[in-house]
Amino acid sequence: MDFSESDKDLWKQIYNTKDLLYCLNCSTCLSGCPASHGDPPLLVRNLARMVVFGLEDDLLDDDTPWACVSCSRCEEMCPMDVKPFEMILAIRKWQSANDETRVPPSIVEIYKRGYTQSVGTNTKLRKSLGLPELQTITKMPQMLKLYQQMLMKTPVVSENDYMFNEE
Amino acid sequence: MELCLFLGCNTPAIRPDVERAIRATMPELGVDLAEVEGYVCCPAFGSFPSTDDDSHLASSGWNLSIAEAKGLDIMVQCGSCYSSLRMGLDHLAHDDLKLARVNELLELTGRKLECKTAVRHVSEILYNEVGVEKISRTIKKSLEGLHGVIQYPCHTLFPSEIVGFEESPRQPKALRVLTEALGATVESYSRELQCCGGAGGFSSSSPAEATAFTKTKLDAIIEETKADFIVVSCITCLMYLDNIQKKLNEAENTDKYNIPVFDYNQLLALCMGFDPKQVASICTIPRNLVIDRL
Amino acid sequence: MAEKKPIGTVLVAGAGVSGIKAALELAEIGYKVLLTDASPQIGGILAKLDNQFPSDHCGMCRILPMVGREYASQYCMRKGLYHENIEILPFTELTRVEGDVGNYTIELLKKARYIDTDKCNGLGECIKVCPVEVPDEFNHGLTQRKAVYKPVPHSTPQMLLVDMDVCTNCGECVKVCPTNVINLGAEDEAFTRHVHSIILASGVKLYNLEEFEDAKSWAVSQDVISALAFERIISGTGTFDGQIKRPSDGKPAKKIAWVQCMGSRNRRQKRDYCSSICCMFALKEAMLARQKGGDDVEATIFYMDMRTFGKDFYRYYEKAVDAGVKFIRCRVQEVMHNPDKSLSMRYYDSQKEEFFVADYDMVVLSTGQIPHKTHAKLAKLFHLELNCQGLLPTQIYDKVKLVKPGVFLCGSLMGLTDLSEAISSGIAAAGQASTLLSSLDVTIIEEEQIAEPTTKDRQVPLISVVLCKCSEKVEKSSVDFGALEMGLKKFNFVGEVNIIDMVCSDQGKENLLKLLKKSQSNRLIIGACHPFMYRKSLKNLAKKAGFAASLIEIFDLSSIVHKGFFESVKKDQTHEAYSEIISIMENLKLKPALHVETLSMNRTALVVGGGIAGMHASFALAQRGVDVHLVEKSDKLGGYAGNNIHATIDDLEPVSMAKDLMIKVLEHKNIILHKNCEVAATQGSFGAFETRIRDLENQENQYLSHGAAIIATGGLEGKTAEYEYGNSANILTQAQLREGLSTGKIDVSDAQNIVMIQCVGSREKQGRKYCSRICCIGAIANALAIQEKNPDARIFILYRDVMTYGFAEQYYTKARGAGIVFVSYDLDKKPEVELVDGKPVIKFTESVLNSEIELSPDFLILSPGVDPEVSNREVGKAFDLPVNDDGFFIEADSKWRPIEFLRTGFYVAGVAHSPMTLKDAILQAEAAAQKVYAHLSSRKIHRAHVISKVHDAICVRCQRCVDICPYDARSYDKVLDSIMVDAAACQACGMCGVACQNNAARIMGFSDKQIMAVIDAKLSENPMFMVGK
Ligand code: SF4
Ligand code: SF4
Ligand code: SF4
Ligand code: SF4
Repeated sequence: MDFSESDKDLWKQIYNTKDLLYCLNCSTCLSGCPASHGDPPLLVRNLARMVVFGLEDDLLDDDTPWACVSCSRCEEMCPMDVKPFEMILAIRKWQSANDETRVPPSIVEIYKRGYTQSVGTNTKLRKSLGLPELQTITKMPQMLKLYQQMLMKTPVVSENDYMFNEE
Repeated sequence: MELCLFLGCNTPAIRPDVERAIRATMPELGVDLAEVEGYVCCPAFGSFPSTDDDSHLASSGWNLSIAEAKGLDIMVQCGSCYSSLRMGLDHLAHDDLKLARVNELLELTGRKLECKTAVRHVSEILYNEVGVEKISRTIKKSLEGLHGVIQYPCHTLFPSEIVGFEESPRQPKALRVLTEALGATVESYSRELQCCGGAGGFSSSSPAEATAFTKTKLDAIIEETKADFIVVSCITCLMYLDNIQKKLNEAENTDKYNIPVFDYNQLLALCMGFDPKQVASICTIPRNLVIDRL
Repeated sequence: MAEKKPIGTVLVAGAGVSGIKAALELAEIGYKVLLTDASPQIGGILAKLDNQFPSDHCGMCRILPMVGREYASQYCMRKGLYHENIEILPFTELTRVEGDVGNYTIELLKKARYIDTDKCNGLGECIKVCPVEVPDEFNHGLTQRKAVYKPVPHSTPQMLLVDMDVCTNCGECVKVCPTNVINLGAEDEAFTRHVHSIILASGVKLYNLEEFEDAKSWAVSQDVISALAFERIISGTGTFDGQIKRPSDGKPAKKIAWVQCMGSRNRRQKRDYCSSICCMFALKEAMLARQKGGDDVEATIFYMDMRTFGKDFYRYYEKAVDAGVKFIRCRVQEVMHNPDKSLSMRYYDSQKEEFFVADYDMVVLSTGQIPHKTHAKLAKLFHLELNCQGLLPTQIYDKVKLVKPGVFLCGSLMGLTDLSEAISSGIAAAGQASTLLSSLDVTIIEEEQIAEPTTKDRQVPLISVVLCKCSEKVEKSSVDFGALEMGLKKFNFVGEVNIIDMVCSDQGKENLLKLLKKSQSNRLIIGACHPFMYRKSLKNLAKKAGFAASLIEIFDLSSIVHKGFFESVKKDQTHEAYSEIISIMENLKLKPALHVETLSMNRTALVVGGGIAGMHASFALAQRGVDVHLVEKSDKLGGYAGNNIHATIDDLEPVSMAKDLMIKVLEHKNIILHKNCEVAATQGSFGAFETRIRDLENQENQYLSHGAAIIATGGLEGKTAEYEYGNSANILTQAQLREGLSTGKIDVSDAQNIVMIQCVGSREKQGRKYCSRICCIGAIANALAIQEKNPDARIFILYRDVMTYGFAEQYYTKARGAGIVFVSYDLDKKPEVELVDGKPVIKFTESVLNSEIELSPDFLILSPGVDPEVSNREVGKAFDLPVNDDGFFIEADSKWRPIEFLRTGFYVAGVAHSPMTLKDAILQAEAAAQKVYAHLSSRKIHRAHVISKVHDAICVRCQRCVDICPYDARSYDKVLDSIMVDAAACQACGMCGVACQNNAARIMGFSDKQIMAVIDAKLSENPMFMVGK
């Protein structure tokens, strides 16, 4: 590992909280993480270390943060209150900001129809269950528009607007 | 009491029978439900919360502000929605800068957020507001003689100071107590607190490992208990534990993974006498053994 | 004494080890002590522990006074504490304090026990009938107890109480109580007292599995237990009679895992401290598990840092490694129970980069200490605020002095302490209190001096037998006292037999005195209950009546009587008592009358070493009117810390503190300073030593007389030649860095990378085999200082275990928060340093990511630790005091007698003992001064009658006895060519007698003839009532 290449202050870009620095490398987080069973395993402790060391390239290449199931066990159990799950999200954000291929397609779905699924279109089934029709945003074009306008002002949408514009 | 029912994406789209069960049971127990017209995705952790703070918190703020305008608190069943909304709310309520930025964004849409709305999980409402006594008084049928096991949704437990409502997040008991109130015998098993494994990228990026992980949980249930059903209170747990059993049966050429999975409100609705075809009709592992016993 | 001054009285609130020790110290001087404890039974957690590191057995009795043994009764302390100057008030809380230094009015609240323990016979009829069952706290819920119960099952006397929280008030117990002492309507009782000083000693709380969140994830099986519960399992008096079985099904536990830091080192749960004791606790338990359970027991410890910082701790750790205890560096999140009841733990091995799942039969959670809830209460009583660590505010250098003058504290109130610290702090607090009392207009309880009566031992033995029938307690005694009397009277050497009652009461004693005065006999046997409680007063009483002390035997009659109650098949207790008395009489008949002179004390102390510890001890003694010779080898006072360390991380300023102390020492009329002098040799024994010191400048000898001595020789910064030290201007020691930073000679403002290496030459088989204890904290202090000057510098600290025990953990946390990077390395893979262009290049393995790092730091800083003072061996030789392989002095007992030497009259303080912090050194100095003062304050020391002697004529000087004596009481005097016995030190254990092949080592009053007579008596059928029937 070459330290001359590493950015000592990278953590401030990624996860700017002292909580991270308190990490003891104790391994509590990874010992109970569901995604640590994966291949490759998600090793929260190691990610924390990589952020502290500022290993930019390694971090950009790392897919494991996306395997997190968001169970927040690590967050509950971490004795140093590093809030590892928040850190995982922060790494993903930083990756998305620096590498457009990381931007999850689900946000395009949400932009377009408000949801990751096609909500409210299964009217027949809903009716058979005795359910009312849903007031989804998809069915409220004006509201959807406002929502989209708002999202346009956010970095991920404005910087990657090509993903959202093509109809 | 009246609460806004936040449905999220999966429940209304894929498992609307759960929605039906909630809509059927809660008013009977004195919890009236209002709509969140024009709500959007919670946002799911894999979406905006993985891209940037603005889009993440603006989406949370969007949803929260709709309920806030109605002056109502939000009730959620889906674990991820619950956790995402609560964590979003937590960030906004404790960070003035973030709140100001979100209000800047919301302003464009004519909305505003003061963080007055609370986000609550349906199991917590049932446990704390309704109470087991009222539930046992209200039900018409009982699960007596049936054995159940619990799948606690991680998102309602951790991180406890943000999402938690159990006295001890590491020894949760709400769902157990609630299920017992329906007359069932609830058994414990070694991997009770293990995550279902269904959320996030784990199951898609490491499918074999993820299946093996959940298999240990199901094996523990099968080996250690006489479970007739699994109770959950999260749409992801419900779908994942239900669907994966079929996968396991196919992969292992067996039929031993056949424990029906119910959302708690589905069981509640059944015990209240609602029509199974409406409140518990969508599933992979057949539920008739349980339903027929009622 | 014309006017009657009040007797100096001290409240010791809290009866754990430190409180007990403080109470004993003061009581020995003659002050009156009120010893209270909030719990129903004194002894703190120690009543539960059978085994302590490093000896792996109990040794609590070693805190009892050893000099003048026969007068300061000896007994097993786990049963209880007995001292006539100590009034014990269990179940009593301090509720109010009024007044000021030297004069306090205190209000105490005695909680209702619902049982009059004075009258209770302790047989527990009530326990048998009580219908309520709850988990027993004593065995950590491994067993059950009733609502009426004995909090410490093995205590004597039995102190029962009713737990009103669970009592159903059914009244069954009241019905069956034979002595009618249960009152379920009893109420708490408040009362006030006057005391002159207060010592606060309330203990710690050991982290309880039920109480805290992080332990709850582990509560999945009965076989996951706390460290204290494990202690109860391996205890011979515990759950499974000392066998290691798992609680769930009683099957032997063969694979056991310990999980460290349970409830400690947790910032999230606001417990950002290390509980300091649990690493050693786990090591000890792991070793015991293998000792008791056999070699097939697998012991694994899951840890983050093995905090083996104390003296000999590291050696013990190495022993554990050699014994096959497995260590896994991983804090595990949870445990899963398997259908076969085994317990699965999943951990990550960073070196193998792999997860493992291991199954265990039992998992022990190393539950740490947490400060007791009472801290806040106490603070309120004294109108103080707790400091940021949740502790009572103390004076900056004196851990035992509360900011409020006149109030002292000890034990865990000072922070998180281990046993030896608890003991030393108890002594030190007592020392402070006695210093205060000696300045007040109070007096001590004078020893009742009863002249030894003229001997009657040449007369034909005539024995008087006194038996107390103890009617209050043993109503339904199965012993037929009438028959006993008849039976005994038949012997012609029995003068008379008196059956009396309640000899423990004042009335009973008066009656006894009258009886004895009339007696014509010359020897005496008294049978009563609890001989260790009453021995002293009964002996004094008999002496008054004219009996020679050595011709009085007091034996435990009540346990013979009691036995009859417990055993289902009732033996004839009358006969048992009879045969016991016969054998005692056989011995007594043959006993010689022993006469002893008291030792007179030279009231001068010698202190060797003029560092901060030595100066502190000298001044503490001088203030109390003791003359002190202070001998310092160099030409200046202050020692290493007092001359080199300007500031420490906890805001101490050793150099300026030493300067102030120096002035006090130099100015005090009671202190004579001998600079440039070294000790050469010593002669004499306790109370009367003569030591030759040599002036190093003019080689002149001087002889100093003293009664006792304190060794405070101090230490030095360690030396090293490792890691290219000395070959580059950029490689420094921590001391050089500290000095350079404060003088500005070392400029770190442009530095990009700074690497520190810890444990240089420490904790290694070759090198210092100990942890130097202060270098981790020192490195952190320096790193933070660099950080302040240059926030952009990257600082790496390469460590093996970060020894920030106790609240020092907060410095470790702070350092990480400041961005200092800690990287652990293994002993078998040390960092490598080489010089490139005169600058260091370092290679090491980063332990988390398991990758190799190469760096060219601007500075490489080494932590070479602490070396012992070079002259320790010579000083040791001069005084005949042992020095360990490392060069530090060896105390009498590392846990129970941490500041005494085996050689009576010698004490150790400061780094001479082992590397320690300044505050700890001061604490030890205070404690050593107290020990010396306690001895020197009484002009005379009563030797024991029963000691060993040498029959010089048949002694061949083989010195076997010298080697074997565990109390260092025997020595060989070259000049006299004889074996000498230090009468004050000999405990009459008899080892010398066993070792001596010529029968030259003898214990007075223990002749073979006597022993044979006793054996004969025991073996022969003693047909009783031949006369009677
Ligand atoms: S649990 Fe917390 S302190 Fe421990 S390694 Fe993980 S992030 Fe670091
Ligand atoms: S939140 Fe993510 S990283 Fe943390 S334990 Fe759960 S899956 Fe692992
Ligand atoms: S490191 Fe400290 S808290 Fe942790 S087990 Fe060791 S002594 Fe206890
Ligand atoms: S060995 Fe001998 S000299 Fe030493 S204490 Fe025992 S009896 Fe005394």
